[in-house]
Amino acid sequence: MLFEFDADQRLWQDSVRRAVAKECPPALVRAVADEAADPGPLWRAWNRLGWTELTAPGEAVELAIVLEELGRAADPTPYLATMTQFAPLAPGDHRPGVAGAAVLDGVTARPDGGGWLLDGTAPHVLDGDRADRLAVVTGAGVFTVPAEAVTATRVPAFDPLLHVAEVTFDGVLVTTADATGADTGPDTDTAERTDERTDERADTRTSAGINANSRAGTSVGADVRTGANFSAGTDAGTITGTGGGTDVRTAADVRTAAGIGTGTSAGVDVCIGAGIGGGVSAGSSYARDLALTGMAVTMVGACRRVLDLTLEHVRSRHQFGAPIGSYQAVKHKAADMHVAVRRARALAYYAALTIAAGDPRRGTAATMAKAAAGECQSVVFRNGLQLFGAMGFTWENDVQFALKRAKAGELMLGGAAEHRARLAAEHLAGGRPTGDPLAGGRPGAGRPPVTDGGERHAAHL
Amino acid sequence: MRLTFDGDVESFRAEFAAFLAEHAPDGAEAAERSRSSAHVPEWARRWQRLLFDTGWLLPGNPPEYGGRNATLLQQYVHLEELARRRIYHSYNPQGLGIVAASLLSFGTEEQKRRWAVPILRAEITAALGMSEPGAGSDLAGLRTRAVLDGDHFVVNGQKVWTSGAHDADVLLTFVRTDPDAPKHKGISVLLVPTATPGVTRRPFGSIAGADDLDFNEVFFEDARVPAANLLGDLNDGWRVATGSLGHERTLLWLSFAARLEELAEDFRPVTPLDRDAYATLLMDAQALRLLGSEALARADRGEQDVAALSVLKLLGSEAVQAASERALEAAGPGALAHPATTAPHAHLHLEAFAAGWFERYARSFAGTIAGGTSEIQRTIIAERLLGLPRK
Repeated sequence: MLFEFDADQRLWQDSVRRAVAKECPPALVRAVADEAADPGPLWRAWNRLGWTELTAPGEAVELAIVLEELGRAADPTPYLATMTQFAPLAPGDHRPGVAGAAVLDGVTARPDGGGWLLDGTAPHVLDGDRADRLAVVTGAGVFTVPAEAVTATRVPAFDPLLHVAEVTFDGVLVTTADATGADTGPDTDTAERTDERTDERADTRTSAGINANSRAGTSVGADVRTGANFSAGTDAGTITGTGGGTDVRTAADVRTAAGIGTGTSAGVDVCIGAGIGGGVSAGSSYARDLALTGMAVTMVGACRRVLDLTLEHVRSRHQFGAPIGSYQAVKHKAADMHVAVRRARALAYYAALTIAAGDPRRGTAATMAKAAAGECQSVVFRNGLQLFGAMGFTWENDVQFALKRAKAGELMLGGAAEHRARLAAEHLAGGRPTGDPLAGGRPGAGRPPVTDGGERHAAHL
Repeated sequence: MRLTFDGDVESFRAEFAAFLAEHAPDGAEAAERSRSSAHVPEWARRWQRLLFDTGWLLPGNPPEYGGRNATLLQQYVHLEELARRRIYHSYNPQGLGIVAASLLSFGTEEQKRRWAVPILRAEITAALGMSEPGAGSDLAGLRTRAVLDGDHFVVNGQKVWTSGAHDADVLLTFVRTDPDAPKHKGISVLLVPTATPGVTRRPFGSIAGADDLDFNEVFFEDARVPAANLLGDLNDGWRVATGSLGHERTLLWLSFAARLEELAEDFRPVTPLDRDAYATLLMDAQALRLLGSEALARADRGEQDVAALSVLKLLGSEAVQAASERALEAAGPGALAHPATTAPHAHLHLEAFAAGWFERYARSFAGTIAGGTSEIQRTIIAERLLGLPRK
């Protein structure tokens, strides 16, 4: 394995960095946080640059490069949710520049006439208040619904740049035509599934229990480009709601009739949402793996920013006649931050690389990426804010944006501890010897410890 | 970014794997264990000689020095194949990895013939005399003196932590030859045969056991060493020192990766917290491989980034230590037994790596202390990678 960017990737990274520096300077981020500046033009800039077209699995590393820089800049647009949560769940419905969000849990589907009625409330949907469309994961499959079909209320969050919304589905009728066919279930054969996904991501999956025996009907999934949301190409994309504000939108009641389905649980809440962890071997799916990887690499970008700002601070801040960065206690904290960032960054790009390559290690790599990003933000937040001293404790200091972006990432899609639990469970179930006598193991792997040196040779003949 | 190597590297790997399958000594043949880092049992000498003669000992070397001019990536997979089978590379690791390597880099043709080839062929063994009671992390503070007297140097002073010295035939000894020069500029390097009158070696036990004799104190009392045994130029020893350690560093992280992968096989988590630590171990192992392969790709292009290697050493050694501690504690009272083994017997491995959990944990401190402590590594990272002021 050669784990460094190739020449094209370095060029791409350079151009992404230049574009982010130009389009998304700290002053703009500050203005969004403090003055409710509109990030719509920035979203359109990302679209103009072609960044919203990076949806092919083979482009996962290039997408990760963009996400790292956007994480670093505390990007105030719905890029992350659109590209790593909505798009992989609704591959056929993603349009460059159209903002999307994913509703991962909290919504149930019950058969109703020819379709399903979606009910429930998802309390913390990333960019749920400003997406044009939402991919909603239910037991009957994944459906795309227009923003107008739901009620979305922005929830005040500690990160003033982050949009988190409570999204309520109140009898939203969907049909097979709205099913995205996204692969959300656990892969039983990851390699095969991955290849499939690479080749035709937009396939319509009927094997997920969605009965194709549908009556024709109008679907809520039909053209949804009507919302006054983050639409690229028009300047109608106004965003309301800034730090703490709410942006309530009630959708038109869309009721149509369509074919009936027999939903089976896709188990997506286990795969993607808050349900990850706890020894549940949920497997891997393209949507899950991309969501985790995207969040991880975003957090890594934010952590790099914290480290950079911290280094700047400890180089320039003098106490006792010397820059505080010359003191070893400070140096060692900074070095630990650096190592944590390097480790998390390597695992995040490894996950992206396995997605791009359709490698069967993809699921494990994504789990590791999210866990490592979580561990990284813990070290970086703690050491970074500590080294900043009182300066970091102020609203004016921009380090808050990066700290909050990193910490918020830990709180979404399962934290480091959950992912570690899952990783260990999967690995140990895969045949590693365990201390649990009931746990199965590879034949011969559960060798008891031998404590006498003399018996050892015989024991292993 | 790629997940695989080119075909030439993989075919190299396959060729070596086939060689090992055919030639690696079996358990009966390799029954005698090595007792120090310069004690090479007869079977291991024959094995090392076979590796030398077939070009599989240090594949990056030219054929006359036990290699086949392999690329860095081929050298990497060579070590990977050894580690995967729990085959210890050489029972005289400092001799092979530092002493012979330094001779090949800085020695005269005569010195290479006289010392390097016999070390590589395991005809003799070598130890490294760097540290002193007053010179550990601050190696340049060493005080062992060598004074030129005609065609001999007269050596007086003391070394310590000299691994395997009591079993070694020769010591690569760092001495002060110009006490008036700035400390980095008055150092020279001498090959001191251990049979030289005035050289006394006193092995002492380690935390692993009173009978675990690898460390030595070495005393020099008017030891006369031929001037021809000077390696490199007079007072140019610091260059040899940094070069010697450089040989070690490029792939040093691989030994930590190997330890982590062994731990992932041997550690039996019991409680949820054990399992949590186990997951961290898996992630550390993966991250170290990734960062190591990134450094490898750079080194393959001829770029040396010594400070980046500090990240690998720090991450690897601390990860081994953390996982060893958890594995020890997870083993409960079973880990009290001593001596004990915690891994499948691997007859070509060092016993220390399959020893009791306490010993494995205790030995993990070799990783965080030797070759630049973790504290030194953090300082290097902060100053050389992060640009923080020295003072």
